[in-house]
Amino acid sequence: MGLSNFYLPEAITQTAKDIDGLFGMIFWISLVAFILVEALLVIFLIRYKRKHPDKQGLAIHGNTKAEVIWTMIPALILVGIGIYSSGMVYTIQEPPTDVYEIKVTGMKWAWEFEYPNGAKTYGELRIPENENVLFKIYSKDVIHSFWIPEFRVKQDAVPGRETRFWVKAETFNNAENKYEKRIICAEYCGNQHSNMLADLQIMPADEFTAWVDKELTRPKTDAQYVIQSNGCTSCHTIDGGKSAGPTWKGLFGKKQIVNGQEVTVDEKYLEEAIMTPDAKTPEGFNSGMMPAFQLEPDAMKNVVEYIKSLK
Amino acid sequence: MAATGDVKRKSFFRDWILTVDHKKIGIMYALTSIIFFFFGGLAAILIRTQLAMPDTQVLEPQQFNQAFTVHGTIMIFLWIIPMLTGAFGNYLVPIMIGAHDMAFPRMNALSYWLFLLGGLVLFASFFVGAVPDVGWTAYPPYSIESQGAGLDFWVTAVHILGLSSILAAINFIVTTWNMRTEGMTFNRMPLFVWANLVTSFIQLFGTPALAGAVTTLLLDRHFGTVFYNVAEGGDPMMYQHLFWFYSHPAVYVMIIPAMGIVSEILPVFARKPIFGYKAIAYSSIMIGFLGFMVWAHHMFVAGMQMSEGIPFMITSMIIAVPTSIKIFNWLATLWGGQIKFTTPMLFVSLGFLGLFTIGGLGGIMLGAVPVDLHLHDTYFVIAHFHYVILGGSMTAILAGMFYWFPKVTGRMYNEKFGQVGFWLYFIATNLTFFPMHFIGMAGMPRRVFFYQPELTTLNQLATLGSYLMGVAALLLFINLAYSLFKGEKASQNPFGAQTLEWTHASSPPTEFNFEAMPVVTADPYQFGEQKDGKSLDDDGVTA
Ligand code: HEM
Ligand SMILES: [Cu+2]
Repeated sequence: MGLSNFYLPEAITQTAKDIDGLFGMIFWISLVAFILVEALLVIFLIRYKRKHPDKQGLAIHGNTKAEVIWTMIPALILVGIGIYSSGMVYTIQEPPTDVYEIKVTGMKWAWEFEYPNGAKTYGELRIPENENVLFKIYSKDVIHSFWIPEFRVKQDAVPGRETRFWVKAETFNNAENKYEKRIICAEYCGNQHSNMLADLQIMPADEFTAWVDKELTRPKTDAQYVIQSNGCTSCHTIDGGKSAGPTWKGLFGKKQIVNGQEVTVDEKYLEEAIMTPDAKTPEGFNSGMMPAFQLEPDAMKNVVEYIKSLK
Repeated sequence: MAATGDVKRKSFFRDWILTVDHKKIGIMYALTSIIFFFFGGLAAILIRTQLAMPDTQVLEPQQFNQAFTVHGTIMIFLWIIPMLTGAFGNYLVPIMIGAHDMAFPRMNALSYWLFLLGGLVLFASFFVGAVPDVGWTAYPPYSIESQGAGLDFWVTAVHILGLSSILAAINFIVTTWNMRTEGMTFNRMPLFVWANLVTSFIQLFGTPALAGAVTTLLLDRHFGTVFYNVAEGGDPMMYQHLFWFYSHPAVYVMIIPAMGIVSEILPVFARKPIFGYKAIAYSSIMIGFLGFMVWAHHMFVAGMQMSEGIPFMITSMIIAVPTSIKIFNWLATLWGGQIKFTTPMLFVSLGFLGLFTIGGLGGIMLGAVPVDLHLHDTYFVIAHFHYVILGGSMTAILAGMFYWFPKVTGRMYNEKFGQVGFWLYFIATNLTFFPMHFIGMAGMPRRVFFYQPELTTLNQLATLGSYLMGVAALLLFINLAYSLFKGEKASQNPFGAQTLEWTHASSPPTEFNFEAMPVVTADPYQFGEQKDGKSLDDDGVTA
């Protein structure tokens, strides 16, 4: 396989390795076909270059035997590939009976992961190592596509439907067993489509269990939780970078032009901007972009404190 | 234009706006779609400029989305399809079958004006600031929810264009069926005419599905229907089925006429009969037919059960067979030839055959369900379809433009600059799209405006390639524009071809194409001489 693996990411499941095997097989067959066609093309073009302006080529209209041969060979190869691939489809499709189920929900523009104990995470997915994990995939709004290149599998998140795939992940080739931003949305879903990313971490089974239990008890008004669960960071950066909405870094205390007037960003301004964003569009941004969020008082307080802290 | 230069000048209005002459309509199609192509190319350059660095901010996200939507829509609906069927089809089919005009000349004019109108409606969206941002596939529910009137413009444009293609298709079918001159049997028709006929059937049967798909989008958006509204029992996947039921066959609308052009040009410059005339003609029919049975290979991960993809995988594999038949027949046409490297010949041989093969092989990888689970909606797909559409269809269009230029204008193009243009174009195509295979494999989805820094080098190669492509396109079109006024006068048949437009019509042809109706006695590829006076030909046909 070698060569064909070159630009494929790490394969961290058996399924991924099988798919790479099929890819490699088709790749080598294609390479032979490619070399055959391109070589014949170039050889003929050079060999039969016209030397005399009036020369004619050979008057050959066809050759049934040759035509049958070059029809049958590709046909057999292609049907072979088709049959071999079909077998693999069933292996990939049928999950084992003992699976750990994680509910994946795509929304503009974030991923929500819900574990069997009810814990939810956003922007981050953790799974136990060497266990069968089944993803049940949903969408809250438009079509997204849940893709992890290291698994070689993606499935669209379609409103009104459940899609699924299963994996049994081994380990990543890095120290924390974690890849950042490797959960990718592959179906165009609007302005922040490119930003619809999440991290993936694979944990030893016992560590995972401890983590997921702890995650359940995490307070729901925690600033990080509120921000991630509402998908705020898909439009706001915390490091001064440009995005669909104003960055939060240094926002507090800053003077902004809003509806033609200069205002200073304070607690009250932030609260209003979160609850009624369209009344408060700062210059340079479009209104109608940000949905209104009705946060509980505690949650609001924590978020505002968090934004204040981003100097 | 030289085509009318010698005739006593009537008014421009009568000459062009009111014309029902298939040749003028063909020329108007060509000029119009070249102008649209220019804007589509500009959008492509914008897209690639945004992607020159992993985090460039040349465009706002919204503008980026508008750029790729407009790019895809223009290239497919306003450039490749109208150029192949509208321009080449209209100009060539009647002359090639020995007819004075199309069967319904007025309807022909109408289909041009509808095409122009459809294009203008799309462009009107710029002026009201509501450029569509829904992608050229416009999947709901995103397309229905997207803000502003962008979708409305897009749907209206697609609708008008669809109507235009249906009218054109009916016209081609009737023309080819009824208006062939004496002796022009089906098995003596030039292969471009065959290709155009099959394409017309595809348009006729496919376009209504597209019309249905996009109409329901508008109904959902404005009239409260719930085709795609899940809360009310609708299903967004139904749109994808309808859309691809048209749009997969549409890729054959883009490639079969291109293959027709290749089949015309190769024998002329190889000085050989086309190898396997019937195989080439009939495999188009097979492709046209099977083309309607593969649509769901665009939907392997769209929410079907994976195993539901299997029948579509098998049909996708089978449809590659007639395609490979053609490739081998063309190669065999070169074998033993006396090949002259003119600009059109370079475009069809090294250009079309070389590039299209790469695209076709990429298609086989995508056609295998397990592999597509990884590659779908990545840059690998972009690489694949640009090799077939740009490397295949557009390369053939350029070949055809140079080949028939003397016929249409009465003047020769500049050979030296034509060849320089070809090489630039060929290098640029590979530089732009070959790296995209790897970009996709490594994990870059399509339609994103930034990416992981590891992919910077490959993306920069692609961006560089796209600029080079811009230069190449300018060079090629400037050559034609300049030659239109300053080119050498062309004789009736400068390349020694045997189809009727060369053998029986002047350059440019007169108003009724022929002085007297031609009578046909053999197929139009009677080139070549016997080796030692003996025939190598097992069909018993002699030249
Ligand atoms: C003959 C000329 C061909 C043309 C013009 C063509 C064109 C296209 C286009 C435009 C797409 C992109 C659709 C999208 O996702 O927006 C596409 C995708 C695809 N093509 Fe082709 N194609 C051709 C040949 C083939 C062949 C020979 C095969 C298979 C044997 C093939 C298999 C596929 C598959 C499976 C996809 C979907 C891949 C995906 O979306 O992940 N194509 N093709
Ligand atoms: Cu998405």
